[in-house]
Amino acid sequence: MEGHVGGVPAGVEIDATPAENHGVETTPVGAHGGERAGAEAHAGDAHRDSSHRGVAVLLGLAAILAAIVGVRATALSSDASDMWQSALRSEVKRSAGALESLRYLYQSEVPPVLTILGTRIQEAELRTAAATETGAVADTLTREADVKANVLAAISSTYELATHPAYALPGGGVNLGLRLSDVRNETPDLVALDPDALQAAGDALGAKAAAMTLPLLPLGVAALFAALAQPFAGRRRELLAAGTAVLTFGALAALAVEALA
Amino acid sequence: MIEPEVATRWRSQGAFDRTATLLIGTVAVLAALLAILQATNGLASTRAQAQAARLSADAAAKISASMLVQGATLGSQQGALVLGMEAVSALIVATTSGDAGLYAVGTANQAASGKLTAALTESAATSSAAPVDPYAAGLMSASIDQLNAQVTEQNRQVDLANETGARSQRAVLGLSLLTLAGVLAGIAAVLGRGRAGWATLGVGWVTTGVVIGVTLLTVL
Repeated sequence: MEGHVGGVPAGVEIDATPAENHGVETTPVGAHGGERAGAEAHAGDAHRDSSHRGVAVLLGLAAILAAIVGVRATALSSDASDMWQSALRSEVKRSAGALESLRYLYQSEVPPVLTILGTRIQEAELRTAAATETGAVADTLTREADVKANVLAAISSTYELATHPAYALPGGGVNLGLRLSDVRNETPDLVALDPDALQAAGDALGAKAAAMTLPLLPLGVAALFAALAQPFAGRRRELLAAGTAVLTFGALAALAVEALA
Repeated sequence: MIEPEVATRWRSQGAFDRTATLLIGTVAVLAALLAILQATNGLASTRAQAQAARLSADAAAKISASMLVQGATLGSQQGALVLGMEAVSALIVATTSGDAGLYAVGTANQAASGKLTAALTESAATSSAAPVDPYAAGLMSASIDQLNAQVTEQNRQVDLANETGARSQRAVLGLSLLTLAGVLAGIAAVLGRGRAGWATLGVGWVTTGVVIGVTLLTVL
């Protein structure tokens, strides 16, 4: 685009101001020619090259910073996503571990242990009754109690829940909570799983990633100013200054997010 | 003095340059805006999906755990009731047959049934009590109301994931169209201010207009 403008032949007087010419950069050169005109033309070329370089530098910086910010935001997003997925996997693992312990306790241990409890209470009641009776009735009660005792001897030793004093309750029951805790603590890694902490870490990273994308907007505006500075030569200095200010703000915002968030 | 037609050509070139660079600048700003929208909505969608899956897993675990505990508790209570009913049966048979020994056994078993029920109640009261870890206790003690609330929240997360996912896709669509607009702006710059250049620039602006619409749809 600028090549068309830059192609103004030296020595041609342009009968239009930059404003009249809609800001298109022109290079008015004196009609007298000679050394003075040549020097002015040379100075104008130098100034134009310098301001063009400013446009190029601003556009380049905006692109580079946008790329850096984008890469960092993407990396943070990826980390946040990883954390959330880890939280999900941890949740599944934690629930599987807890359910396995519960199944072991309530499906494998509790049914026979309850049979043991019932048999134990029956034996105690039968012996209590036998103590208050005499003769054949007492013998019957004692035989029944002996049967229950044999059953207990056969099966109770297999189940720690039924035999360990730590689990015994005063009313003849067993402490299922204590037993579940002991079963769970056989796999402490599963008990220690904390998906909520992973979720919170993911949320923090996600918030940082979202905040890191925000500086892209001032960087885009800086690119807009840089692009506009090219055709609007009359306002180029102001546009470049505004673009630089917005670019600096975007860069500082990105640094602040990186450091503080 | 330059020829009027030359000045007109330069003015035309200036308008073309301004239009083209304004398009490029607009593309840059829209790209930044859409990148932000895509990133934030993509993050929100990913989080909502993971959260919905977590809630599903947790609800399933709570249902399984509470069913296990309730099933075992009911089963044991039924066992105590059966013992009591057997004792009553023995008492009836002993009464009709005059069997004092059987009657004494029935009486003892009836008392045992009552004590067993009390022992089971005592045991069940410790199911989710200390020292059970809070997570396992929560699984066992989940109520229907809690599960319903959790399912409602899970559904909300699914809806949120779908909504933000759709917004993220719209942002990607906008970015794709924006790439096209950027390419058109570049081609127009190469073609210059001729008819082809203006036409390309026009298509670029139309595409950018569509992108602005897509951006508004993504935001709203």
